Amino acid sequence: MRLVGELKKLPGIGERTALRLAFHLLKSPHNMTALAESLQEVRTRVHACSNCFAVTEDDPCAICTGNRDGGTICVVENSQDLMALERSNAYQGMYHVLEGAISPLGGIGPSDLRIPELLERVGRGGVNEVVIATNFTVEGEATALYLTKALKPYGVKVTRLAHGIPLGSDIEFVDAATVQWALQGRNEL
Amino acid sequence: MHAEKLQAIVLSTLDYGDSDRIASLFSLEHGRIKAFARGARTSRKRFGAALEAFARIEAQVRVREGLAGLQQAEIVTIYPRIRGDLPAIAHALYACEVVEAMTPEGHPLPRLYRLLAAYLDRLEAETAADDSDRRFFEINLLNILGYRPSLESCPRCDTPFGTVGALLQENGEPVCRACAPTGRPLHPSALKALGACMATGTFGKVVFPPDLLTEGGALLDRAIATHAGRRLKSLEFLGQVTP
Repeated sequence: MRLVGELKKLPGIGERTALRLAFHLLKSPHNMTALAESLQEVRTRVHACSNCFAVTEDDPCAICTGNRDGGTICVVENSQDLMALERSNAYQGMYHVLEGAISPLGGIGPSDLRIPELLERVGRGGVNEVVIATNFTVEGEATALYLTKALKPYGVKVTRLAHGIPLGSDIEFVDAATVQWALQGRNEL
Repeated sequence: MHAEKLQAIVLSTLDYGDSDRIASLFSLEHGRIKAFARGARTSRKRFGAALEAFARIEAQVRVREGLAGLQQAEIVTIYPRIRGDLPAIAHALYACEVVEAMTPEGHPLPRLYRLLAAYLDRLEAETAADDSDRRFFEINLLNILGYRPSLESCPRCDTPFGTVGALLQENGEPVCRACAPTGRPLHPSALKALGACMATGTFGKVVFPPDLLTEGGALLDRAIATHAGRRLKSLEFLGQVTP
């Protein structure tokens, strides 16, 4: 019952799924051992990079020590967003993970995020551009606007990811808010 | 049970599981309701960006006791200008939190709905979020909810404040000097300005000079803290991003 209780704490797992997973593990001791070992390994080896705060096994992480453009820092809310950007193969700069976004209704303010560390990194010099890649939610927008203001004294170029109609979609099926944003951010050809 | 089409403003949302969301809506027809939106985090077609704080939507809802069922939501506006201005975002989120904290669930409050919608429209139209508008919103909200502070005479002994003014108590109550020996002094002009806000009913008609804004603001802050019964989380952020 303890195992079911622990599994239920995971996102997207309810009582029945937790029970099913628990019985599945009981039937295959090998899987249970492998899972226990990997969980233990994650707990001891995985942590946040001391430079960019991405989830990593090495410190500094492979991106911070790799052959990347150190003059550009892309700011993301979490490590999953970083992985999504890496999958695109379109960005060769560094990252900075905020570990969340400003959420006034959730009581999360700028001091609860890795914003002071970002400002310190930029303040050390050598950074020409900060790309803000927070989500396009109210919280993400608030974070982007706050960062834009906080970075102004450093004189670096601050950019924001473009937003609009997704590739491969028909305009007639896109919601009104996205069309509104896309029109506001239209480009001259 | 058939679905009703409601005009609503999204007050807040809470992610539930991997794909669902619980939205707190302030509707014209039913007041504040909590609605379960199945698949809201994955279905762009049924919800899009509609379930974002302070978005104004048309919602198809199965209203029932407890958690209502939100089937679909269409955006009326997401207030794009507010979303591009940090102080305006802070003001809009604060207004949503005040309404959520101070209104009962399932009780229609059409005047308050119109006040909140007018405040958001005002924030959308203004080039800079103004604290006078916030105070105008707050005093009218207290008035609609039946928490109107006594601005003309002492609520304890009925003595008119006249030209002497009042002393503000910790619970946000202004009283005369005979009823309370201590308290923050409130100038009669500050009390009059707050009264004028309720008389006009239009944003921008009453402009508070800075000193009156501070005094009137102190009264409203204490009154709202008393009636809300909990600390408003967005207040700290509002203080950080507004002068």
